[in-house]
Amino acid sequence: MKTIEWGYLIVNYLFLGGLSAGLFFVSALATFLYKIEEPSPYTRIARLGALLAPWPVMIGCGLLVFDLGHWYRFYKLFLHLRLVSPMSIGTWLLVFFNVIALVNCYAWLTAAQRTELFARIPQRLAFLRRFNYDIDHWRRHLALAGLPISVGVGIYTGVLLGAVQSRPFWNTNLVAQLFLFSALSTGCAALILGLARREQSAPELKLLYGLDICFMVLEFFIVLPYLIHGELSVQAVQDSLKLILGGPFTVLFWVFFLGLGLVTPLVIEITELVPVMLSNREFHYRRPIAAGTALLILFGGFLLRYIFVFAGQMSAMQ
Amino acid sequence: MAAKNKRYALVIDSKKCINCKACVVACRAEYNVPLTYSRPWINEETRGVWPKLMAAFQPEQCHHCAHPACVRVCPTGASYQRPDGIVVVNESDCVGCRYCMIACPYDARFFREDKGVVEKCDFCVKRLARGQLPACVETCPSKVRVFGDLNDPKSKMADLISGREYRLKKPEAGTGPQIYYLM
Repeated sequence: MKTIEWGYLIVNYLFLGGLSAGLFFVSALATFLYKIEEPSPYTRIARLGALLAPWPVMIGCGLLVFDLGHWYRFYKLFLHLRLVSPMSIGTWLLVFFNVIALVNCYAWLTAAQRTELFARIPQRLAFLRRFNYDIDHWRRHLALAGLPISVGVGIYTGVLLGAVQSRPFWNTNLVAQLFLFSALSTGCAALILGLARREQSAPELKLLYGLDICFMVLEFFIVLPYLIHGELSVQAVQDSLKLILGGPFTVLFWVFFLGLGLVTPLVIEITELVPVMLSNREFHYRRPIAAGTALLILFGGFLLRYIFVFAGQMSAMQ
Repeated sequence: MAAKNKRYALVIDSKKCINCKACVVACRAEYNVPLTYSRPWINEETRGVWPKLMAAFQPEQCHHCAHPACVRVCPTGASYQRPDGIVVVNESDCVGCRYCMIACPYDARFFREDKGVVEKCDFCVKRLARGQLPACVETCPSKVRVFGDLNDPKSKMADLISGREYRLKKPEAGTGPQIYYLM
């Protein structure tokens, strides 16, 4: 009795969890590169990433809870730690990630923002105002602690699917890597989208384009072996790949995910960045193109999760 | 002498199956399973080209695997394997994440929307405790199903497995299924 059990809630969670992991990862990288005394492009990337990172994953966790049979039973997940279950490991990873991302977000608030935040606390809860600490000096420690956890959250979403032997579409380690690099690139894209709103973000966008090109090239060279190796694998895997090679997900995968969501933004970023780097000219960007590229990457990241969640559940051993 | 450790399993002689679905009905009555779901079910396959046709019926259900994928992926330990090999779901620990359903190579589990938990065949553990056979085994009019302890060399099951050829379904999934289909 084959049914599709995981639907849009799970697709959205996988996308939002990956997005947060990417935002935190890029923000943490930038944190290591900046010097506090020198305002640099790294500072703006690190701040925006840190401020955005906790929210998508928190919404995603909410979706996960509402996908359960009874939402109020979610606490039972925290009564157990089963190292053989990817979902149990993921539950705890998400807890640590949410806490670190939230504290990191707080650490990146300016003194004025903090004061404003605490001023909004109602009089009845005035005791909370005592916690208005300046924890700027924690930023690097938080980035260091959160970096492996953000990679964990990014990779775990793929492991969750890849660890299922009975679904040949998923059952390869490449899915975990694919989801990780897609997550990192959607994080980059969200930052590009956020920074492209201003006119003077050229140094930041130059860095983000470079990083994003790395992530997307890696993603592209994981998609290729996924397809080639799948076709050279056992019959069940070959049959499952028919879902994207002539089956119901073919157009979605090739045209919308691979074409519009991965190769097009990759080509745009390369044509924007590489000539500048080769000729040592100053980098200029056009806001609509930067924003459009970022939106395409986010769209591609979402589609990747959509295709994998649904096609994977439709695949089976014969 | 019967071994002390039991390992329950099921032998299915599909050639005897007439697709009467008495097993499905007996199970549904035993556990109040809603009409839209079934713990056991019967796969129907038509082979050949008219006028040379053959209908084959194959009962299917949870295989109570030796290394169950559903048990491995369960985040709360609600799905677990008893020492006698039977794989069961502890409903009070099940959060309804349905990961086990996705992990099962046989699609033998279903989600009870009304209860918010996952359900499956448990070889009628309550009946076993009373010394009775599983409901589907007891009711089957053509004696397709033979239930027993694999570790008991005197059982009918031991005779069938040692004397007849059998096949396991999807052994490549690596879960060690424990339903023996006689050839």
